Amino acid sequence: MFKIPIEELTKKAYNIRKNLIELMYRSGSGHLDTSLSLVEIWISTVYSDFFKFDPNNGAWEERDRIFLSEGHACPLQYCVNAELGYYPIDDLFNTFRQPESPFQGHTKRSLKHGFENSNGSLSIGLWHAYGHALATDRYVFCVAGDGEFQEPSSQSLLFAPFNMKPAPNFTLLLNYNRLAQDNMVDLGPIADVAALYNWQVLQVDGHSFQALGEAFQQAIKDTERPSFIVCNTTKGKGGAIEFAGKLGHHGVPPKGEEEYKAYLAGLEAGRQK
Amino acid sequence: METYGNESLREAFGKALIDAGKIWNNLVVLDAGTKNSTYSQKFQEVFPDRFYTPGINEPGMVGAATGMAMAGKRVVACDMSVFLHHAYAQIRAAARQGSDMHMIIAATHTGVAVGPDGGSAHDLTDLARMRLVAGFNVITPWDGRQIRSVLQVILEEKGLYYVRLNRPKVPLFLPEPAPFELGKAYKLSEGERVTIIAVGDKVYNALIASEELGKGFADVIGVSTLEPLDSDTIIASAKKTGKVITVEDHLYIGGLFEAVAGVLVQHHPTPMRRIALDRIFTTSGDPDELAEIYGVNTAAIVRMCKEFVG
Ligand SMILES: [Mg+2]
Repeated sequence: MFKIPIEELTKKAYNIRKNLIELMYRSGSGHLDTSLSLVEIWISTVYSDFFKFDPNNGAWEERDRIFLSEGHACPLQYCVNAELGYYPIDDLFNTFRQPESPFQGHTKRSLKHGFENSNGSLSIGLWHAYGHALATDRYVFCVAGDGEFQEPSSQSLLFAPFNMKPAPNFTLLLNYNRLAQDNMVDLGPIADVAALYNWQVLQVDGHSFQALGEAFQQAIKDTERPSFIVCNTTKGKGGAIEFAGKLGHHGVPPKGEEEYKAYLAGLEAGRQK
Repeated sequence: METYGNESLREAFGKALIDAGKIWNNLVVLDAGTKNSTYSQKFQEVFPDRFYTPGINEPGMVGAATGMAMAGKRVVACDMSVFLHHAYAQIRAAARQGSDMHMIIAATHTGVAVGPDGGSAHDLTDLARMRLVAGFNVITPWDGRQIRSVLQVILEEKGLYYVRLNRPKVPLFLPEPAPFELGKAYKLSEGERVTIIAVGDKVYNALIASEELGKGFADVIGVSTLEPLDSDTIIASAKKTGKVITVEDHLYIGGLFEAVAGVLVQHHPTPMRRIALDRIFTTSGDPDELAEIYGVNTAAIVRMCKEFVG
């Protein structure tokens, strides 16, 4: 299912969360809580046994692709790609959100760094990913937010397999953490709607490697339909316990040493579970 | 002036796409529910597997088109111009991917030339909108023949291109193959007293006006690339004649007039006049009738030249 054992993935998740907390604390800006909710989802994708890429040749034609549509989660993408060997992690820590850095506040497309798409404004990246999937025979995975699905043009992607063309090599990963910037998100019957419009719909615990890995295997087995995987997650997962899953922390990095320590304490508590 | 019949810019584009499809087997065409108006349907008839539409969904169409271009396809996304307002965020996002891809947006119903569908359908701000998106080349072909040359060039060279087309049949007046070099403005007639600069099918009106004004009266410059604009050709002519009139079927804001003014005010301030629309919404009518009402026809150019030169 995965290229390495789940215990290894779990260690990687811990290290990446630690880097995320450190990175956002030091830089004083960035979307920590969204990034934390996606750690297992992103790691599961790039460590799935079928998922091919080459950190020394980011533009490799035969690579499988992971698009980030909710672009504010880019710190996660930056940390994971350092872990995968696209660049040293110090490059990220030294230049994050600084002028002309490859590590902008929202992703700037750079295949060399493993960044498939420029993003930021919501509801656009998932259409880029879907169009891309129609134009390649490689696997195309795309991470989208639940708040992002309040945008009509995100919702309209649900019609695409039905009235445009099915892209069976496409998998949409919905980060269903039920929080957006300033509101709680309830997408109601979205999974049922997606199924009616010819998606293979799967619903999983978005923090379980086992569940994610199995869902991804099932996604690539369906050669007729694209897959819509509802990943139930907690915003801020593995960070400060009193903030996780609560409104009011979107794009807010740890403020002061006390909050920083609360994030680290939450990280350790999550590790022992 | 010799002409070779009439053809709408949109129909010429649709036909040229078929030939391009035979040359480039990675060319794909998209439309957002207007394929019989944009003539992209012609491409679909010949290459059904290389034609995509999400239905009446401009953001989806431009988004998917961008993703295909990122995957290495040569992409042409077609729509009636005014509907591309729906996809402005997606157009900006396309440009933010960088210009190392083949991405063409073709907008077919522009200006009051759209005619009876009325103010709702007359896109009078597309040039302004597209000039604001960094990275996009803005192409304004003059006749059906030039469109073939435009497509050849922009399908060859990677980049982001916006092509402004329109609805009614207009004269074919260029030789074949028609000239087109990206970023080059063309001096089409020599004169001493005034410079007339035009875009799109208004170049034909400018040339007819120049004939009526008599030999040696007007420098006529045809602009088929509004962005990036050929400043040298414009400045040189302004230095010679000392008076410049711009001609466009577009608001005076953000299009040719302000582009030229922007160049001249910085390098060679020159008195200018404009043939363009005021900041208004327009009415239904026959295209020729509307061109007369809003003062964007040959007669208006002749009148303005005489008044301006004195
Ligand atoms: Mg959310």
